[in-house]
Amino acid sequence: MSASSLRSFEYLEGLPGTTFNRLYKQPSTALAIFRRMLPHLAKSFVMALLYISRPMPVTDLEAWVRPDGRRERDNAFNLLERLHILASAANPGKPRAYNLTNPFAASLRLALTGGGGHNSFGVPTNVAEDDVITIPELDEFARKQWEGVLGYMVGSSTGVDLSNSGVELSPGVQHLLRGGGLVDIRGRRVEITQDGFAFLLQEVNAQVWTMLVLYLQAAEKLSMDECEVLSFLFTLGSLELGVPYSKTNLTATQCQMIHDLSDFGIVHEATPEASHFYPTRLATTLTSDAGGLRSTSLASSSDANRGFIVIETNYRIYAYTSSNLQIAILQLFTRLITRYPNMVAGKITRESIRRAISMGITSDQIISYLTTHAHPQMAKKQPVLPATVVDQIRLWQLEGDRMKATPGFLFKEFNTQADYEAT
Amino acid sequence: MNAVDGSDHYSKTSDEPPPSLLTIILDTNPNAWALLSPTLPLSAAIANLLVFINAHLAFNNANKVAIIASHTQRAEFLYPLPAHEISPHINGSNTHNGDVEMADGDEPTVAEETSTDDANHYRPFRQIQSTLLTSLSTLLKTTSPTSLTPTTSIAGALTLALTYINRCTLNASTTSPNPTTTTPSDNALNPDTAPPPLHPRILILSVSGDLAHQYIPIMNTIFACQRLSIPIDIAKISGDTVFLQQASDATHGTYIKLEHPRGLLQYLMMGFLPDQSCRGFLVAPTAVGVDFRAACFCHRRVVDVGFVCSICLSIFCSPPEGAICLTCGTHLQLGEYGEKPAVVAKKKKKKRDMVDGKAKEATVRSRPG
Repeated sequence: MSASSLRSFEYLEGLPGTTFNRLYKQPSTALAIFRRMLPHLAKSFVMALLYISRPMPVTDLEAWVRPDGRRERDNAFNLLERLHILASAANPGKPRAYNLTNPFAASLRLALTGGGGHNSFGVPTNVAEDDVITIPELDEFARKQWEGVLGYMVGSSTGVDLSNSGVELSPGVQHLLRGGGLVDIRGRRVEITQDGFAFLLQEVNAQVWTMLVLYLQAAEKLSMDECEVLSFLFTLGSLELGVPYSKTNLTATQCQMIHDLSDFGIVHEATPEASHFYPTRLATTLTSDAGGLRSTSLASSSDANRGFIVIETNYRIYAYTSSNLQIAILQLFTRLITRYPNMVAGKITRESIRRAISMGITSDQIISYLTTHAHPQMAKKQPVLPATVVDQIRLWQLEGDRMKATPGFLFKEFNTQADYEAT
Repeated sequence: MNAVDGSDHYSKTSDEPPPSLLTIILDTNPNAWALLSPTLPLSAAIANLLVFINAHLAFNNANKVAIIASHTQRAEFLYPLPAHEISPHINGSNTHNGDVEMADGDEPTVAEETSTDDANHYRPFRQIQSTLLTSLSTLLKTTSPTSLTPTTSIAGALTLALTYINRCTLNASTTSPNPTTTTPSDNALNPDTAPPPLHPRILILSVSGDLAHQYIPIMNTIFACQRLSIPIDIAKISGDTVFLQQASDATHGTYIKLEHPRGLLQYLMMGFLPDQSCRGFLVAPTAVGVDFRAACFCHRRVVDVGFVCSICLSIFCSPPEGAICLTCGTHLQLGEYGEKPAVVAKKKKKKRDMVDGKAKEATVRSRPG
């Protein structure tokens, strides 16, 4: 399970069972949850049970799993029950048996076979020739919007001028960022928080999910139906890139969502009044696994941004990028020395790492950022990053953790010695 | 401080299993399906297969599928289609390096029709369904009654499957910008250095029996799969062949003989859906005994006991003419084949020895006393 899905996942687990029942009525939701949320073994169980009409005895399922896979099996069952996918059937007198819960199984079957009248995979429309938006245009739009959001967060604290990105953040987005504790607004200055740094160093897909969970939490306050919002998000994940979809069959809430999400670059709508919208790559990769993401994610969609960092064993770092945003992020934990038209060179030093750590960035975040953005030539090697650098970054963090506080109790003012000895 | 030491954190283990490529070889021998039609007509089998394919694709976004028909006299791709079959007019640009471009799910392969059905069907699923159905119907239409033979060209289909898997593996190793530097054999030789970018496997839905005349090509493909560690799964719907059992056994695949062909879908879902990373945890539903018999090279007969050339290990059901190996031409010496072995009568043990032995024992026992 990748880190990106964890947040959405924790959020989902907290929902009451009735919400699940309503969510699973949409085949696209059932499919997306099946694909994204379940570990591999659990998927096998679901598929094995999907076309069995009678509940399956626990003993049979257990016999199917090898003895050394018991931990994985228990994990899988546990999770399936928490997500209300698997339920133990009530058949008194017989051993415990499992079957799939009904709205989920029926929806998944519908998703696999097609048919029904749910329209949950989006209704494509035909658009006049000159209105068609190509995939590169969509990518460019999504990149611009998303980097605008990130730039808004970074820009204030690092002093790099990001104003030329030309994206004006809508008040809604600014409000959302502040509400989620990612930035802190003091007067007119925007200051990034610790959570904000952690957010910045995540993968794009994880960032999108984090943002969407924030959106979901905000939606509750705006008295939007969270169930409707969620199921529309999962629908978005199953749409196809570069195809216009009709808005006519969407509810008012969902139309409002399209408007909000276009601020992030997750969907594209020409005008608020237009009758159709395009999902961008940010939306269509929502329900992909991390494995599929590396090749399709936004970061790698344009060749220039696909892995650009070279780091050497002498802590020198070279980044082939001219994006102000990327440079600003790098500057959070490196000392940049020179800047060339398509490259910046810098050095990881103790001071730069300590500074980053004092801002709340952890060494693991830095390492994972460097790993995900490693240059293809570096990514070929195993391990990707030089071991000395990885160790040193961790050591620099540990320098600050020499003392550890554990909670304790203080008892005082005992009346007698006997009392003292009795405690 | 010890926490930072230890080198296990260098190897970045990805907890997500790699995507898997499922290559399905569908035996489309019309004779065999005609025999099966009371229990499992071809249309029902295809419908079940489609659900199975969709389930496979639902496992992971990057999962891929290829379907190959093993027809009476030839093997053909049903999905994905070679690009020139879809757009013959742009054929010239594809053939410049001798490669056949395969249209994959990324490009719209079929004429896009915006029907109301679209919104109710996940798009990749629908694409595969329509492509598979159209190519299958063209395949069946082009079959003339004269070309009907009771066998099927499994060997050809397996070869096609291997070529396709090879190509996908090359494409999948995107981490190296120059794909020619890593060949799949490199990956197979040192699997520890780089995790496999793709888990390929082959599933054969077999309905016809008697593959003895293709013994050699089939065994060759089996050994190729074994070397590349590609499991071959067999769903034996009807008929019985010796070699497919060996195929699944040699490549650690699953062999299931369907007792009730009507329940094809459940067999597929339970037995064949879990991929390599899952099978590590599951008890494999595999055949009890494997038939290891081979076919002779001279008459393609399945033999229990045969003659083996000592040079090239070719198998013959009877000594070849003039005792010259048909494969390598070595002049073989049969020795005294067919003669009755001279039986040497067992010598009877001398009684005296026995008496001596007992006598010795007696002395040993008596000594402590």
